[in-house]
Amino acid sequence: MKLLKRFSKSQLLGFLSFLILWEAVHLLLRTHTVPSPWETIVYSISRIDKLALHSLASLLRILTGIGISMVIGIPIGIYLGVSQKFGYLFSPFLYFIYPIPKIAFLPVFMLLFGLGDTSKVILIIWIIIFQIIISVRDGIAQIPKIQYKVMDSFQASAFQKYRFLIIPAILPHIFTGLRISIGISLASLFFAENYATVYGIGYYIISAWTKMNYVEMFSGIMTIGILGVILYQILDEIELKVAPWNK
Amino acid sequence: MSNAEDSFIRLDDVTFSYREKIILNKVSLKLKKGDSYAVIGKSGVGKSTLLHLIAGFLKPNAGSIYIDQQEIKSVRKNTAFLFQELGLFPWQKVVQAVGMPLHLNKAGKASEIQNRVLSLLKELDLEHLKNKYPRELSGGEQQRVALARILITNPDLILMDEPTSSLDAMTKEQIQQLILKYQQKLKATMLFITHDIEEAVYLGKHILLLKPGGTFQVIENSFYSVPRAREQLGYYEQCIEIRKLLMDGETI
Ligand SMILES: Nc1ncnc2c1ncn2[C@@H]1O[C@H](COP(=O)(O)OP(=O)(O)OP(=O)(O)O)[C@@H](O)[C@H]1O
Ligand SMILES: [Mg+2]
Repeated sequence: MKLLKRFSKSQLLGFLSFLILWEAVHLLLRTHTVPSPWETIVYSISRIDKLALHSLASLLRILTGIGISMVIGIPIGIYLGVSQKFGYLFSPFLYFIYPIPKIAFLPVFMLLFGLGDTSKVILIIWIIIFQIIISVRDGIAQIPKIQYKVMDSFQASAFQKYRFLIIPAILPHIFTGLRISIGISLASLFFAENYATVYGIGYYIISAWTKMNYVEMFSGIMTIGILGVILYQILDEIELKVAPWNK
Repeated sequence: MSNAEDSFIRLDDVTFSYREKIILNKVSLKLKKGDSYAVIGKSGVGKSTLLHLIAGFLKPNAGSIYIDQQEIKSVRKNTAFLFQELGLFPWQKVVQAVGMPLHLNKAGKASEIQNRVLSLLKELDLEHLKNKYPRELSGGEQQRVALARILITNPDLILMDEPTSSLDAMTKEQIQQLILKYQQKLKATMLFITHDIEEAVYLGKHILLLKPGGTFQVIENSFYSVPRAREQLGYYEQCIEIRKLLMDGETI
C-alpha cells in the first residue's frame, strides 16, 4: 500500500506511463503525425536551448500572473471571509463569473489591453484570481468557532487574530487554489500565445503545427507537460516549507 | 462593595437570557479566592452560560459580576479558560501552542518565552513532544498541551468546561491530578463544569449544584485534596450523596 502510494505520487513514473501510452499509439497508428517518443526526446535534447527559452517566456507570464493574483486575491478573499456584508454583496458576482471558462475573455482583453504580454498576463490573473478568492474565503469559513473563542480567551487583538489564526488557517487553501488554477492557466496560455508573440511554449507548438513539423510539435507538447510538473513540484516544495502541518 | 474581603468572584443579581429564554434569574453568588468549585447540574440548565459570563465572553442582561473587585466587562487578563474542544491550532507545534499566550501578552523576549515554555513542558512531561503537531498527539497528550497553554500565564482564575469528558478513565485520573497540582501551586481560584460526579468530588472543594433558573445548592466536600482519596470508602459515599441530590426530583 505504501509502495502504491509512492508510485501514485511519483511524477517521474507519471511521465514514464505517458511515454508508454504514446509509444503504443505511435506503433498502432503508424502515421508521421504521431512521431515516436524516442525520436521526440532526441529532437528535444538537440534543441533544448530553444525549448528552454520558450518555456521561460511562458513561465514568466504564469509566475507574474500568480504573483499579482495572490497580492490582489488574498486580501479580497480575506475580506469576503470576515465581512458578512461584503460577502453578500460580492458573492453573486463571484458565483456568476466562477464557472465561465476564462479563456472566453481573451478577445476582450486583447481589445482592451492590446495583443501583447499585458493581455496574456491579465488573462492568467483572471483565471487564477477567482480561484484564490474562493479558496481563501472558504478557508476562513471553515475555521472552527472554537478557535476564535480561544483567541478571545487570550485577549488577542484583531491583528493577532490574523497573525496567529486567520493567515495560517488559509495557507493550505491558497495552495489548493493554485494547484487547481495552474493547469487551467497553462492550457489557456496555449491559446493566448498565438497572438503577438514569438516566445512562449504555446506559440512554439502552434508554429510547429503550421509548419507540419510534428516532431517539433510533440517536443512542445512534452515540454508543456514537464512545465506543469515543474510548477507543481515547486508548489509542493513551498507548501512543505510554509504549511507543513497537514502533510 | 461590602464584605468583599475573601470573595474573589461575586455575582450580584445576575440575569441572563437567550432572547426570551431566561437562563439565570437574579443569581447572586460568592466564590472564595483560591478555592476550587465544581459545577454540576443537568444538561441545559445553564452551566456553560454561567462560566461564559464569568469569563467575560457573555454579558449579563442585568446585574454585575466582579472578579478581584473589578467589574467584568470583557475578558480579563488573568482568567484562563479551558474549552472542552481544546481548540488547539493544527499549524502550531506543541512549543508554539504553549508559547502563544505569552506572545499575545507580549510577555518578554522570544528567548525568555522559549525558556518558560520548555520548563513547563518538562514539568508536564511534554518535552519530548515539543515539535509535534496536534494531529500527531493522543487525546490525553492534546489535553495536557491545552492545559499547558492556559497554565503558562500563571492565571489566578481557571475556568474549565468539562475538561476531561473525552478521556478514558486512566488518562482522566492523570489529568485530574495535574489540574489539582497546578491549581494548588498557582493558588488559583478554579471553577469547572463536570458531568462526572466522581470528578466533582475529586477536584471540587465546593460543589455547586445548579438548578433551573440559577439557584444553587452548595455542598462542602471533605474529600477535596485528600491524599489517596480514591482509596477511601467515604469518598464513594460522598459521590453517592451527591448523585442523590443531582437526581432529586428527576425520574430516570
Ligand atoms: N447561543 C445560544 N442561543 C440560544 N440558546 C442557547 C444558546 N446557548 C445555549 N442556549 C440554551 O441555553 C440553555 C443553557 O445552555 P448551557 O449551554 O449553558 O447549558 P449546560 O448546562 O452547559 O448544558 P450541558 O450540560 O448540556 O453542556 C440551553 O437550554 C440551551 O439550549
Ligand atoms: Mg455545557
